[in-house]
Amino acid sequence: MKITKSLIILLVLIAAALLPILTEAYFISVAITILTFMTLAISWDMMLRTGQLSFGTAGFFGLGGYTGIIAVADFGVDPVMGIVLGGLLAGGVSLLLGMAILRLRGLYFAITTMALASVFMVIIRNLHKLTGGPSGKIVYTTLFNYDSAKVYWLMLGIAVGTIVISELFQRSRIRFAVDAIRADETVAKSHGVNIYKYLIFVFVVTSIIQGVIGSTYALQYGFVYPESSFSAHYLLLPIAMALVGGIYSTIGPVLGAVILGLSSEYLKLIMPYGHLIIYGVIIVVVVLFMPNGVYGALKGLFGIRKRRLEER
Amino acid sequence: MESISFLKKHRNIFLLIVVIVVVAIWKPHAAIYGLQRGSLYSLVGLPLSLTLGVVGIMNLAHGDFLSLGIYFVYLFSTNLGMDPLLSIIPVSILLFLLGVVIYKLTVTRVLKSGHLNQLLLTFGISMILLEAMNLIWTSRPRSVYVEYSSTSTTIAGVRFGTYELLYVLFAFAVLIALQLFLKKTRLGQATFAVGQNPRGAKIVGINTGFVYLFVFGISVAILGIAAGVMVPRFAIFPSVGAAFTMKSFCLVAMAGLGNLTGILVSGIVLGVGEAIVQSIPGYAGWSDIVFFGVLIAVIMIRSLRRHSL
Repeated sequence: MKITKSLIILLVLIAAALLPILTEAYFISVAITILTFMTLAISWDMMLRTGQLSFGTAGFFGLGGYTGIIAVADFGVDPVMGIVLGGLLAGGVSLLLGMAILRLRGLYFAITTMALASVFMVIIRNLHKLTGGPSGKIVYTTLFNYDSAKVYWLMLGIAVGTIVISELFQRSRIRFAVDAIRADETVAKSHGVNIYKYLIFVFVVTSIIQGVIGSTYALQYGFVYPESSFSAHYLLLPIAMALVGGIYSTIGPVLGAVILGLSSEYLKLIMPYGHLIIYGVIIVVVVLFMPNGVYGALKGLFGIRKRRLEER
Repeated sequence: MESISFLKKHRNIFLLIVVIVVVAIWKPHAAIYGLQRGSLYSLVGLPLSLTLGVVGIMNLAHGDFLSLGIYFVYLFSTNLGMDPLLSIIPVSILLFLLGVVIYKLTVTRVLKSGHLNQLLLTFGISMILLEAMNLIWTSRPRSVYVEYSSTSTTIAGVRFGTYELLYVLFAFAVLIALQLFLKKTRLGQATFAVGQNPRGAKIVGINTGFVYLFVFGISVAILGIAAGVMVPRFAIFPSVGAAFTMKSFCLVAMAGLGNLTGILVSGIVLGVGEAIVQSIPGYAGWSDIVFFGVLIAVIMIRSLRRHSL
């Protein structure tokens, strides 16, 4: 069982790595988009596992993008270094903010994170000299000079890295702490779990991931613009993907990103405007009728089958 | 003694009056614009406070219901030639029905399943409403012109729009109407009881399910009033109301749950704050941050004091 599992993972990885050689430019760009949203979806789910609903993904995504572009445009940093800086700044900001807002729980944490994207946007729109204000900023040295295969490999690396981090979290003592916090904070606290420390740790790690993916995304096109960098897309789609795939797992958001990523390409063709309405519908339907997502449903199906076999 | 307790009881209102008078002497324009805009924020914030306080649901689609109401008013005035203020009546009825239907179809199923699902659900509803409006009416801004909306008057050398004083009027009217409803009517008393203690209310025989349904519906319907007064002065586009969700929540966090008068007070204080920032040359763009700054500050202070919000 274990060997087949690792074999499947290996095959998927090889297939993913060979993709740019085997396919044309259009499919590579679709794959890059899917990987972007997959990373966001996993990072959103990682925070959700602590029981805290974060609406801040778009905020840190945009912040990372702006940091990357500014580092390259104003300080002549290499784009790859710009990505690192994007992650670091998002991490730093999230550490400072997290120390404040993670004292809040549930509703108030969620709403405050929702405000973050708007706050970042207002700040960036008003720092004209640094950020270009409302008209955005362009940079001429893009990531790998528009070589989409290389960008794809970098994205794949970031996505795989995120998956590994997420799995590490799931297999270490962090998971026990996180699950305990989600289940019952008071009980967790009375058993000596340092809730605050773990929440900040997870919040910072997920924000770094969002910052990194944000700056990668911005640097591959070489421009940032307040409305598009902080667009609700980067919040709505990851949430829909994680929900469809199945929350509280690594494989769920991955599955969801692939399913919705591929179907959204088709949706865009038949419904150029307002295709986002489908994502809203998906979120509502999943919350109401399928709280465990596709992965949960599959697991349930196999779980039942396994139990039946055991009964015999 | 009595006068002191009277002062204590209405501390917030006195504070508000003092703030407005001080600002009025310092920056008369900021005071009047702030009062007008702050009243509008309160008018939109009041129903959110009601749903959050009684039903216990944070409706992230609040602002999108407002946008929808604004489009309804737009339709009534362009197709039927109805006055925007008059169209408040049919639009509120439409919104009430829509709120009831959405509540019955979705919200009622997540009442017991924790804030996480509730937030995700209303977030999904918000996206559906927003994108539906994008799909039907596109993002092209529209407007409705009525003659009386651009009148202005000059008092003591300060020139300001008179139409916006309607915001103040409607905000106070809705607040008083809600207070009367909660205190004087049977359903209102039941609503108040459910807001205080849902289980206790159920034990004494209140149909809590109906109260929730009614409160959700009426909260969405009140947005019709806000939509009607807003239409003559606002550009109409799908995300026009979205910003009000956060601002309304900010007011609720500032006033505390179940404090309707507090919504009006904090709305006006924040409106004046915004107007002051806007009146500083070169810093007008920063005014949007006033609400978020106050929101974070208020929440921090409360969490440090270990007050449950």
